[in-house]
Amino acid sequence: MTVSAPALASHFAMPRGPGVYFDGMSSARNDVWIESTETGLRIISVDRLVIATWRFEELRRVASPDGVLRLGRAGDVLLARLEIHDQALIDAIEERADTLDRTGAVERALRRKVVVLSFAAMASLTVTAVFGVPALANRVIPFIPLSVEHKLGNAVDAQIRSALDTHHLGASFECGRGPDEAAGRAALDTLVGRLDVAAALPMSLRVDVIRRPEPNAFALPGGHIYAFEGLIDKAQSPDELAGVLAHEIGHVARRDGTRTVLQTAGLSFLFGMMLGDFVGGGAVVIAAKTVLRSSYSRVVEAAADAYSVDLIGKVGGDAHALGVLLARIVSDSDEGMKILRDHPETKDRISAINAMATSVATAPLLDAASWQALKHVCAPLAAGSTGGQARRQGDGATQNR
Amino acid sequence: MTTAGVSAPVDAAGAVQFLGKESAYWRLRIKGAALVMLTLGLYRFWLATDVRRYLWSNTEIAGDTLEYDGLATELLVGFLYAIAILVPLYTVIAVVTLANTVSLPSVAFGLLFLALVGQYSLYRARRYRLTRTVFRGLRFDQHGSPWSYALRALAWWSLAVLSIGIAYPWVQSNLQRFKMRHTSYGDLAGRFEGSGSLLFLRGLWMWFLVIGPIVVAVGTLSAVTDWDALGDALAHDDDTLGVLAGALLFGPAHRVVLTCLGLSAGIALALYPLFQAMTMRWWVSGLRFDGVSATSHLRTAQVYVLYLRFALFIVLFATVAAVAGTLCIFIIAALLRPGLDSDASEIAATALTVCLYIGTALGISVIYQVAVSYAMWRLTARSVELSGTERLANVRAEGAPSSALGEGLADALGVGGL
Repeated sequence: MTVSAPALASHFAMPRGPGVYFDGMSSARNDVWIESTETGLRIISVDRLVIATWRFEELRRVASPDGVLRLGRAGDVLLARLEIHDQALIDAIEERADTLDRTGAVERALRRKVVVLSFAAMASLTVTAVFGVPALANRVIPFIPLSVEHKLGNAVDAQIRSALDTHHLGASFECGRGPDEAAGRAALDTLVGRLDVAAALPMSLRVDVIRRPEPNAFALPGGHIYAFEGLIDKAQSPDELAGVLAHEIGHVARRDGTRTVLQTAGLSFLFGMMLGDFVGGGAVVIAAKTVLRSSYSRVVEAAADAYSVDLIGKVGGDAHALGVLLARIVSDSDEGMKILRDHPETKDRISAINAMATSVATAPLLDAASWQALKHVCAPLAAGSTGGQARRQGDGATQNR
Repeated sequence: MTTAGVSAPVDAAGAVQFLGKESAYWRLRIKGAALVMLTLGLYRFWLATDVRRYLWSNTEIAGDTLEYDGLATELLVGFLYAIAILVPLYTVIAVVTLANTVSLPSVAFGLLFLALVGQYSLYRARRYRLTRTVFRGLRFDQHGSPWSYALRALAWWSLAVLSIGIAYPWVQSNLQRFKMRHTSYGDLAGRFEGSGSLLFLRGLWMWFLVIGPIVVAVGTLSAVTDWDALGDALAHDDDTLGVLAGALLFGPAHRVVLTCLGLSAGIALALYPLFQAMTMRWWVSGLRFDGVSATSHLRTAQVYVLYLRFALFIVLFATVAAVAGTLCIFIIAALLRPGLDSDASEIAATALTVCLYIGTALGISVIYQVAVSYAMWRLTARSVELSGTERLANVRAEGAPSSALGEGLADALGVGGL
């Protein structure tokens, strides 16, 4: 065969070098000679036969150790591989085959995209958590039957009681059961009865006073409200106590217990599933969930305050009294970090209550005798009882004070 | 130029080499950890893929390196599939909990089911990794039913727990046999020849040393405990754990009991590298692919050196972390001082605390990944001797790639591996 001079020149300029070829059908290792032509690679066996021709556009770089170019063929069902150790030949091939991403720019751009997209995902996650979860909970609540809420309340009730009832008080956990306490219980029933009529709830209301020293009250899903003995002690008028009870009735009426369960489940779902497990991810999840739950809770509490003002107005009581009692309870206690609080700041609550409370009270909600009886709904304990240690209960389904 | 320079040296035929550089792997891991943190975990699929590519590419068997052929996007898609499967499952669990119909048997059943799904996904993940492992232009493969494996694994591991670890060697030998029986490289069928009884005999003395003090502790405790008084205390106090801890820590003979438990933990820690070296040698030496067999010459001293080096790195890192932590505490205190009562400063302080925690956790994890996992891979690879490698020269292709669903499930359930 004769060749023209220019063809011969380009023939000699053609990058070439040794390589190793695996045909993808057997593990046999073939030492080959590789020629880089205008259009692709020509793979030549030791017997000088062309075994295969790979076009540049179908070359695919696969993982290899440093200093080795390992090539596959895009779209090939077999995993034929070509390995080149000769640096000059590697450079020549990378220069011609655009698909090989010589500088790694394509791969870097892809990684950048992943980072940018995950930032976008985080932003949408945050928006969903801040606005979507509470909105979704509001939409779902009407579809949850009251019977389910009642069951939920009973389950929480059992847990709460075992956590709060310390057995060390030497008396019944609930006040109003003893003979000295009957009058107080009757006064409480009168007060609750007035609120109940005005509230016109779809579920039955049940209020109990329990022997706990903290000035607190909470409502369970389904309509069971606990007021603590400490709260009765702190209250100086029936309207003050009624204000707190009305706040708790607000939680019951608005089904906040169920709302909190739904919100918490939604958050767990959002963060537990979407954020994968990576080292330290647990801390991010816990921090985000705590901050978000506190923010949901602040909204719920503000709404219950508004409900209380409204309800007390309806029964002709003094709606400001709730603010007065709140101010007395938390006069000098440090409330900690704002973003972690589950209630709005007390001074903000009080000014909000005062701004909403426009009605004028005609008379106290209970006469003086009944109020005195109610103040003694928890008869004094036998000497020597220590009044068990206060234990925090952080159950998501209860709504505190 | 001749082609001779390219061919593998003849004396490397029976050897396994590791070509990686630790400095490059440190870079890979540190950069990866930073990006994983930045993307709140999403980058982990790319990191896992990079890590495998690096480890596989630098492991040379009989003159040729392995190739990891998987893509990060496959892992991501597998994870999304897993989410699609697990979302309804979690929803059912949430609804059942909400409706308050949970009973002890249903909880136990749920946990067993999750353990089963975990084992299922581990087996599927192994299949994914094997089918993405290419050597000399041919894939590895794994067949066999993942459910069948999951049931066996659950049964065997239950036995291991019930026997306080005595059954562990047979758990390993049986599960390895199942896995290797269903593993192949082209037309080379895998099998496992490690003997559970042999591992049992080699490791029995360690079991006695670790479990012995616990037996003494339990024996002492049951001899000196006033059971009536304890039962009484339990009946009158809700704080069951508190009562039990009190009985353990302050009861009679608490010194003997605590010494025994401490002794057991100390022995377990001191023996762990030895145990790991022993099981690794046993496992590698049991691997067979048709006529090709592996023998491990891993030395126990090497594994001890590895862990000592890890401990040294941790001490250094802890020093740095303590300095950084002190600085952060000052900044947080400044952000939270009474005058500066704004949401922004509170959020900044919280974010800083979380970052400090994550930074420390990621640092320890990176050190572990390099100083232990990577170093162990290198040690193990270099200690392998292969025989019958001439059979590796003419293997025929078989098998096809599989989906990454198992990896996704394993990732979502938190049981993923390398």
